[in-house]
Amino acid sequence: MDDPAKFLLRRLVRRIPAQMLKATLEKWGRLNAEQRESLNFSQSKWALTQELEALCEESRLTVKHIAELEMIYITENPNQMMWHAFQLLDPEDGALAVELMQFKELFKCHLRELVRNVSVKIKKHTDEAVWIRMSWGEGFSRLSHLNATYVVHYLQTPYVFVSGLSPKNKPLLLQVLTLSTKHERIKDANLSGRKLTAIRDLLLRQYEHVFPTKYPSPLTERNQSVSNLHTEKEQAEASAKRHQMAGQAFGNGVLPALQSAVYKLETKFKDPTNQTMTEQDEPFRCVVKFSSTNLLESLRHCASSGIASTPVAPLLSSIPLKGRNYFVITDKSPSANS
Amino acid sequence: MEKSRTSVTSTPISSVSTRRIRRRSFRQSTRSHFGVASRLGLTPGQTTHRFNTSRKAPKPQNITEKVSPEHLALLVKTEWHLCYVTPLYRFRHTQLKSYARQLSAFIAAEKQQGLGVEVGGLQDTFKVSMSVLQGLAETNDDPETVLIQVQSRPAFARQDEPLKTVWSGWLSCINGNPEYLHSLPKDFTCLPLFGSRGLEGLSSLVKSWLRSTFDCFFGPLDINQTTLRWLAALWTNCHMESNIQHLKMQWTLPAAPPLHVAYTVNSSDALALWRSVRKSRAADQEACIEIEEVTSFMEGLTSHFYRHFGVDLSAGDLNQVSTALGSAKVKGRMKISSSRYLISTLSLLTECAFLKIPI
Repeated sequence: MDDPAKFLLRRLVRRIPAQMLKATLEKWGRLNAEQRESLNFSQSKWALTQELEALCEESRLTVKHIAELEMIYITENPNQMMWHAFQLLDPEDGALAVELMQFKELFKCHLRELVRNVSVKIKKHTDEAVWIRMSWGEGFSRLSHLNATYVVHYLQTPYVFVSGLSPKNKPLLLQVLTLSTKHERIKDANLSGRKLTAIRDLLLRQYEHVFPTKYPSPLTERNQSVSNLHTEKEQAEASAKRHQMAGQAFGNGVLPALQSAVYKLETKFKDPTNQTMTEQDEPFRCVVKFSSTNLLESLRHCASSGIASTPVAPLLSSIPLKGRNYFVITDKSPSANS
Repeated sequence: MEKSRTSVTSTPISSVSTRRIRRRSFRQSTRSHFGVASRLGLTPGQTTHRFNTSRKAPKPQNITEKVSPEHLALLVKTEWHLCYVTPLYRFRHTQLKSYARQLSAFIAAEKQQGLGVEVGGLQDTFKVSMSVLQGLAETNDDPETVLIQVQSRPAFARQDEPLKTVWSGWLSCINGNPEYLHSLPKDFTCLPLFGSRGLEGLSSLVKSWLRSTFDCFFGPLDINQTTLRWLAALWTNCHMESNIQHLKMQWTLPAAPPLHVAYTVNSSDALALWRSVRKSRAADQEACIEIEEVTSFMEGLTSHFYRHFGVDLSAGDLNQVSTALGSAKVKGRMKISSSRYLISTLSLLTECAFLKIPI
């Protein structure tokens, strides 16, 4: 095995937690059962790496095979990297009919036209997602498998999720994606996060929605608020209304685990009690970052418990509505529209 | 006022002192707030100390002539965990070498407690050094700051490898309340502010040694919400002289799961807001800042936030305030990043420590 392969293998073994290593190696399938049995998983990672290296040498595995192993691990555990979402716009006529084989061909073909030195691996995952792993090379130098770019695309949806893309290769990749999915443009969806499952669910709206109703829900279990007998009678109606509006803004049940939202505010300071500041023409610049283990649930709880005023402010409800978590707010645009 | 002193180590002394005070309550009825305090079970302080409603804005001071650069480098740009300390009994600045020897023996003894003696085993050797940090004291009443450092050589290192500092701490009193300092009996030294950094186990060992040697008591100096707001305003005020780069505040709202909000304001805009809430006053009074101004400043910031998000930040807690000059966390951790404001920040913290001391 040459050096890049060894390096990649070492890094991979360091990264994969011990309990998952055995299962991942099994799925990989490049080592036969005998070789896998001979590995001692209870020893230190360093010793394990040495053993694995020896086995790979025996089977004459190359860096491409190790890259496969990495892809298997990442596909099973996508929530460890920083993902950025992009949206495809203006579909052409055949866009909805693009299926896997066609997409694969188009992608490889367009990629070859634009870039010479790149290695691509496309795989379809069980949940209808197409995973692409790309290793880039500088000019004519060898491919670097260490900083691979991962792309996830759900066919027939206009969304693409990318991780590990350098600014240099960004325009190339985006153009290839646009062409191979038969769209005209692609733009940054302003949504990013560590948990791929969360941002995917948010964009594809795969969580329980609440629709505005004129009459409150007949199922009283849904409107469970904090039961405090002293305040219940007085507060029951207000509390139910808050719950309803919070649900409308964010959804019911378990929400996608988005972890942060950033707002860059450049609006004027308008305060009737502070004339000096109100008269200033320059905007009051500040950056607000909300973070939580599950941001949408926190915001929903704030709305239903009264910390956030209801109806929910449009800046907050845009997160699930528009599926984005980075906003730049200025005075010219109507709120939350930039 | 003479009140027979109870042991400084037993705090809070609410149950003990109220009995005595009730008997003398008739005499003390004129000192109305003391009577109220004792009836409520709060410990009345030696001084009529209330939280300042007005302060002087800190002026940047170049203290590099007064304090040596090595000492400055130790203090600045590090996050210290703060505690308050009651006055030390029979502490002599001249006996620091002997104290250092006693402390290292204490640490060595404690570390060996409960351990089996290894045959030929090497132990971590701890060496303690105590020294006076010259130059920080502001007034004549302030006792000099004492610096304590614990250095160790890890068990498998060679003999000639340099010792590494694994723990440092200091006891300090800057601009201490002169009434209080004068009212202390002769044998007591008041160094109410204690900062520490390093292994938690060593912190507790040093504290217990100080406790048993000097009959004092340690308690956590939580930087409360008011102090954090003061710091936000004071640091913004400093932007006129030194660039604070940004004013960053971190709040936590009690949602399920808890929601953290990091609100970072551009430094010039924060200064503009601060200037707009300042009352007009005579030129020589410029440096005086009142609590109403601090409150209006914070209200301006939170109402701007409310106008956009509909979320009232006062429903949660302010956890941390940071600028380029330093950062303060509510759990009693403080970092001072600029030596020019070291003295003024330490004075503010000394004041907080005085307020927390039970006696």
